[in-house]
Amino acid sequence: MAAGPYNYSYIFKYIIIGDMGVGKSCLLHQFTEKKFMADCPHTIGVEFGTRIIEVAGQKIKLQIWDTAGQERFRAVTRSYYRGAAGALMVYDITRRTTYNHLSSWLTDARNLTNPNTVIFLIGNKSDLDAQRDVTYDEAKQFAEENGLMFLECSAKTGENVEDAFLDTAKKIYKNIQDGSLDLNAAESGVQHKPSNGPRGANLGGESSGNKDPCSC
Amino acid sequence: MAAAQNKVKLFENVLNQEIISLEEIKKLCFSGCPEEASIRATCWKLLLNYIPPETADWKSHLKKQRESYAKFIDELVQNSVENDNDSSTKDHPLNTNPQSDWNQYFKDNEMLCQIDRDCRRLSPGLAFYQYETKYPYGKIFKSNHETNPLRKRLAGIALSAEEIHTNKVGTFQKNKEIKKKAPEQLSDGEEYHWEVVERILFVYTKLNKGQGYVQGMNEVIGPLYYTFATDPDQSGQENAEADTFWCFMNLMSEVRDNFIKSLDESKVGITHKMQQVMEVLEKIDTPLYIYLTKNLEVKPQYFCFRWITVLLTQEFDLPNVVRIWDSLLSHEKRFDFLIYICCAMLKLIRGDILKKDFTAALKTLQVRLY
Repeated sequence: MAAGPYNYSYIFKYIIIGDMGVGKSCLLHQFTEKKFMADCPHTIGVEFGTRIIEVAGQKIKLQIWDTAGQERFRAVTRSYYRGAAGALMVYDITRRTTYNHLSSWLTDARNLTNPNTVIFLIGNKSDLDAQRDVTYDEAKQFAEENGLMFLECSAKTGENVEDAFLDTAKKIYKNIQDGSLDLNAAESGVQHKPSNGPRGANLGGESSGNKDPCSC
Repeated sequence: MAAAQNKVKLFENVLNQEIISLEEIKKLCFSGCPEEASIRATCWKLLLNYIPPETADWKSHLKKQRESYAKFIDELVQNSVENDNDSSTKDHPLNTNPQSDWNQYFKDNEMLCQIDRDCRRLSPGLAFYQYETKYPYGKIFKSNHETNPLRKRLAGIALSAEEIHTNKVGTFQKNKEIKKKAPEQLSDGEEYHWEVVERILFVYTKLNKGQGYVQGMNEVIGPLYYTFATDPDQSGQENAEADTFWCFMNLMSEVRDNFIKSLDESKVGITHKMQQVMEVLEKIDTPLYIYLTKNLEVKPQYFCFRWITVLLTQEFDLPNVVRIWDSLLSHEKRFDFLIYICCAMLKLIRGDILKKDFTAALKTLQVRLY
């Protein structure tokens, strides 16, 4: 396998879900561009981002699907869940309604992905602590009860954003290593790319990846 | 230069007839309206059935429509239950009766917050909406309020959220973030263009309760409001709000199915339209169709959901969107023609797509501004 800057051994598919206005697109933008987008337009349907990260010395390309939050788009966004290895479920710590809707998002995430999909709960807008409407402790408890990983983040300052995306990848990688995630299973959400090895399904047919035209 | 003048002449010849031939206007508009005079604003109003082909009737018709809109404003924006000081009413904010006006008021507040969030971030790439309008609420509508009551209402919602917060945590920290959100840079009696759009959407949603507000409606209204609010004709500009409202109503009556979830899987719904794009593509560019669907397994909802739902408003700069709408509004098949524009967009980037893998191809397909 040629060693180049765009080489990677795995592709992980992520989806970002949660109510409208919680900052899903801003989190994606902060993670891929390291910038806060103040006037981010709302998402219609789905948007797409990628970044190559490193976990345990392995280069991994994250393929991130950012979905529309409004209820009207639920039927369409459901088609994006298929084959996700990681799901970032986002609420806004300053708006309790967005937290109250988590169980419905979680139901979708559980029903539409595979049992090994890593679900990471993100309480966004941690920079607005003065407006806080959901305490850290109750969200932490919700996460524990449902077996989710959890962090409070700020797409604005960047706080913990990197960690949320990376910790999800580490957990997925660990699941691969200990065998709980079967790469040959359909819809694992992971595609392994050794020079001539088997490939996971449903991430779309990536070419052999030696030269990725987009240097993200 | 001469050609441009010639074009204006062609339009004027048709528009100066006593009874305008819609067929001829459609033919001319299809290849783009000139920027001069108020040709585009007038043509769009004709194409959207807002004004009749009989030019003699325009004045009275516009007057009537603008007055009806002012009545909606009066009933739906001006006279809300919070301004009702009649102490004999039995209704009160804690009334749990679902029929209660207050109950409705709080439901409307949720919708208003949603509209507000989206209108603030309308076309961030274009400064237009962040500018003041010359014709704000107080100047256009007869009212004892100089300022748009919706702004006051939104400020009230933000304030009550702040109060709840201080009660819960038990501190009395003043919250600067909320303050910053309110459009306070403008004094009473002034307002931004996006606040006008917000008001139109609020009225539209109140009148179309079954459908409610759906994200994307704010984008569809954009080109209409922009065209009318920049109309060189002063009376047109002054009445941009009411005219946009009626044209938006008429436009939505044709495209509303895209916004209704329960129709998604029906013959008229968005899913069917996306499939049509792929069917046409298969005919006109089979190799691209095969590459997209078989090699990459790209589904149309990954890229053309937005194209169709918001009528391409997100894919190009506003001046280009307006130009595309000239053709879209004047084509006899109108929104079926949109399917072909989508295919043309795919054809334009086919060379790029055919070289790319799934991730890169999807990024190319999703990039805004061709």
